[in-house]
Amino acid sequence: MTLFSLAWKNMKGSFSNYLIYFVSMVFSMIVYYTFVSLQYSEQIQGSIMLSEFMSFMFMAASAVLLLFVAIFLLYSNSFFTRSRKREIGLYSMLGLRKKSIARMMFYENLLMGVLALVIGIVFGALISKFFSMILIKLMGTSAKVDFVPSIEAIVQTVIVFMLIILFTSFQGARLIYRFKLIELFHAEKKGEQAPLVSPIITFIGVSLLAFSYWLIVRPFPEELTGNYVVGNYGMALIALSVGTHLFFRSATVFLLMLSQKNKSRYYRGTNFIGTSQLLYRIRGNARTFSLIALLSAVTISFFGATYSGYYGNEISAKEDVPFTYTHLSGGQSFDSEIEKLINEDTAHPVQAQLDIPVLVMEGQLSFELDYLTSPIKIIAASTFNQASRALDRDVTVHLSGQQAAVVKPRLTDFRQASFEGQHLTLSESKKNSKLQLVQLVEGSVLPFDYPDFFVIVSDEWFKQLAKQTTTLTYKAYEVEDEKTTEAVSSKLATLIDGDFQVHSSFYTVYKEGKEGSAMNLFVFGFLGLVFLAATGSVIYFKQLTEAGEAKPNYEILRKIGVDNKVIRSMLHKQTRFVFGLPLLVGILHSTVVLYFISNFMSNLIGVNMVVPMLIAMVAFIGIYAGYYVLTVTTYYRIVCR
Amino acid sequence: MKVIVDAKNIKKVYGTKGNVYTAIEGIDLTVQEGQYIGIMGPSGAGKSTLLNILATIDQPTSGDVVIDGTSIVHMNEEQLSVFRREKLGFIFQDYNLLDTLTVRENILLPLALAKTKIKELERRVEEVADIFGISPILDKYPYQISGGQKQRTATSRALVAKPSLILADEPTGALDSKSATDLLESLKGLSEHNRATILMVTHDAFAASYCQKVVFIKDGKLFTELVKGKLPRKEFFNKILDVLSVLGGGASDVI
Repeated sequence: MTLFSLAWKNMKGSFSNYLIYFVSMVFSMIVYYTFVSLQYSEQIQGSIMLSEFMSFMFMAASAVLLLFVAIFLLYSNSFFTRSRKREIGLYSMLGLRKKSIARMMFYENLLMGVLALVIGIVFGALISKFFSMILIKLMGTSAKVDFVPSIEAIVQTVIVFMLIILFTSFQGARLIYRFKLIELFHAEKKGEQAPLVSPIITFIGVSLLAFSYWLIVRPFPEELTGNYVVGNYGMALIALSVGTHLFFRSATVFLLMLSQKNKSRYYRGTNFIGTSQLLYRIRGNARTFSLIALLSAVTISFFGATYSGYYGNEISAKEDVPFTYTHLSGGQSFDSEIEKLINEDTAHPVQAQLDIPVLVMEGQLSFELDYLTSPIKIIAASTFNQASRALDRDVTVHLSGQQAAVVKPRLTDFRQASFEGQHLTLSESKKNSKLQLVQLVEGSVLPFDYPDFFVIVSDEWFKQLAKQTTTLTYKAYEVEDEKTTEAVSSKLATLIDGDFQVHSSFYTVYKEGKEGSAMNLFVFGFLGLVFLAATGSVIYFKQLTEAGEAKPNYEILRKIGVDNKVIRSMLHKQTRFVFGLPLLVGILHSTVVLYFISNFMSNLIGVNMVVPMLIAMVAFIGIYAGYYVLTVTTYYRIVCR
Repeated sequence: MKVIVDAKNIKKVYGTKGNVYTAIEGIDLTVQEGQYIGIMGPSGAGKSTLLNILATIDQPTSGDVVIDGTSIVHMNEEQLSVFRREKLGFIFQDYNLLDTLTVRENILLPLALAKTKIKELERRVEEVADIFGISPILDKYPYQISGGQKQRTATSRALVAKPSLILADEPTGALDSKSATDLLESLKGLSEHNRATILMVTHDAFAASYCQKVVFIKDGKLFTELVKGKLPRKEFFNKILDVLSVLGGGASDVI
């Protein structure tokens, strides 16, 4: 019998043992291939406006994915080889030379890897079509997806995974050299010692967590620098990771030990059996727990944040471009041509049409404001009120004489208090042109234009000022169902040559925003799904391996007189702990992170994140619950067969 | 005297049509309270099958088994679990201790399952640990103690709930002769002083010589039985060896 055939028989003979490892390999490959093939898909790239941004996003994400997949594969590989130490020891006992064993391990892993790669790519090709449909649906484009496997994607996937497979194969081959025969035989014999409960470590862990939370939620400093961002959040990340690990390492032991205190409850029924089993493996579990808690936190946070972006896109587009169409007046004939074009679109009847005259002047504020305030754009109070009403807003201003109001510049966080009682002196004005600032109002009426500094003055003053400088007149239209005004928007774009200030339509901004945020949502959603599936699988694999080891224990229990119903409820309790604790900590972490992101986002774009965040969490918990049920069911089947 | 085990005409057939193997062919067995009975026979004679049936882990194909006044043949899984918990104590060759529990916890397992009060539970554990001399190691884990100590722990667990019947499957199989002798002496003492009823399957004539009665099985049927009576243990041992040599197929089994 050649070595190759021995390796092959090995695999065939105990395929169920290999299945877990094999499935995780196939899973990683499917995920990676799917993602890369989306990256290379010309149909998707051709169908969107932001393809450069998209390639960058995909590239960054595929790097993260690659790293993650590699770690996941190495993890499952070490898991797999550990369970086979005894078998390898047996070969050695039977007189097989170390070199032969090493070669056998190498071939075996290689064979499995190649097989998994083929299956992974075939399934990946099927699944990538499904995912491209989701992506296209999210972006709201109407591209057709053909079923053409991408050669570049296949080549990239094969190269990447062959490297990983070769590495793990060498690792497997080295196994026999790394351990003494005796160690191979006693691989899983020794019980892990429960780590000592140290109140100091628990305290350090909890304080580190509290410290990192504080770093995350504390308000921004006056001046937001890159150094601050990297320093503050980098430190928060480190404190969070270390704190989480210490927390799981000692606090879980502490919690479990606490449950032992009440002896009459602890020694009643099967409570103490489950608890001792958890304590027995706590050290290994602590590592997995922290990994899972952190990954869950990352997944929920990113997904919640990006989903908010997607969810809030319409609101933020509406803020950027308040009216459906806005353009700078270009003379009577030009304006009426555009008016005709807009009126011809009967599917979108015009709800409001108005002129917004704007004066552009230089001026000086009576105080230091951390924002560029020159040039200043001036609007009359009646125009502002009219536009506000046309947009269905209830913000109006009432100004008289030299009173003026500032429209809150978009993407800023200024408060009324900074402006109230201050003055603005217009420099080009001949007369005494000291304006009295009385109010800060929200709700710009013209498209975003940096510096976004609009000042509303009373009608009489506007008339006076208008004499001193030229008036720019904007034509604004608000139409019904503005989210579907693609046809007119693109016609306008060809008709009017100019940048954002000259002409802008809501649709273009809305669409770009939607594509960008859909891309974010998709990429993070995809990564999140992978993280989720991987963390779920890690717990699942871990529990199944444990089930195999614990099987004799449950047999003993049954012989002693514990019926299957009790065993099932024991398993439920144990699994609930194993799944619930990291999830709980993960959710706590992500709540803090999302609180921060939500503050940040709602300042910037005025998006309420509660709904999208809840959706992200519920989705996460839902999928996790699926894994929980699967784990309990399989565990039960293993120990009660 | 009270009858603890009353098995009538038990049969056990394995396999399906065409490929049938009869493990037990109509065995009757009666055990009275306080008796210490050994079951011997060559490999494949049906000893373990018989024990498994009495332990309610396996069901007979036909026949009736009454233990402590209750027929176990028609019980469902849940009733059997309760029955095992309350009436039976097990000692196995490979100890069957839970490696995640301390010695103390392993012993109190049956009591905890029966939801005994904590005071009573602790008292009983101390008491039984005292009998078997394992009080000093109560807080150790199974992987920290020797084989003999493990078996004494397992025996303590079997006894702690004061079961009606103790079933032992090759309890000395994995022990050295000193540990084996200690264990056998303890079991003998239990049956003599505490009126514990013990049924022990063994290959070992030395172990069997501690019993009051030894039942021999061959090819699924009762072959013969020996009663110790007033005989010294040495002579009883020789008589057992005689029977075993007649029984055949087991010369190697004897040692």
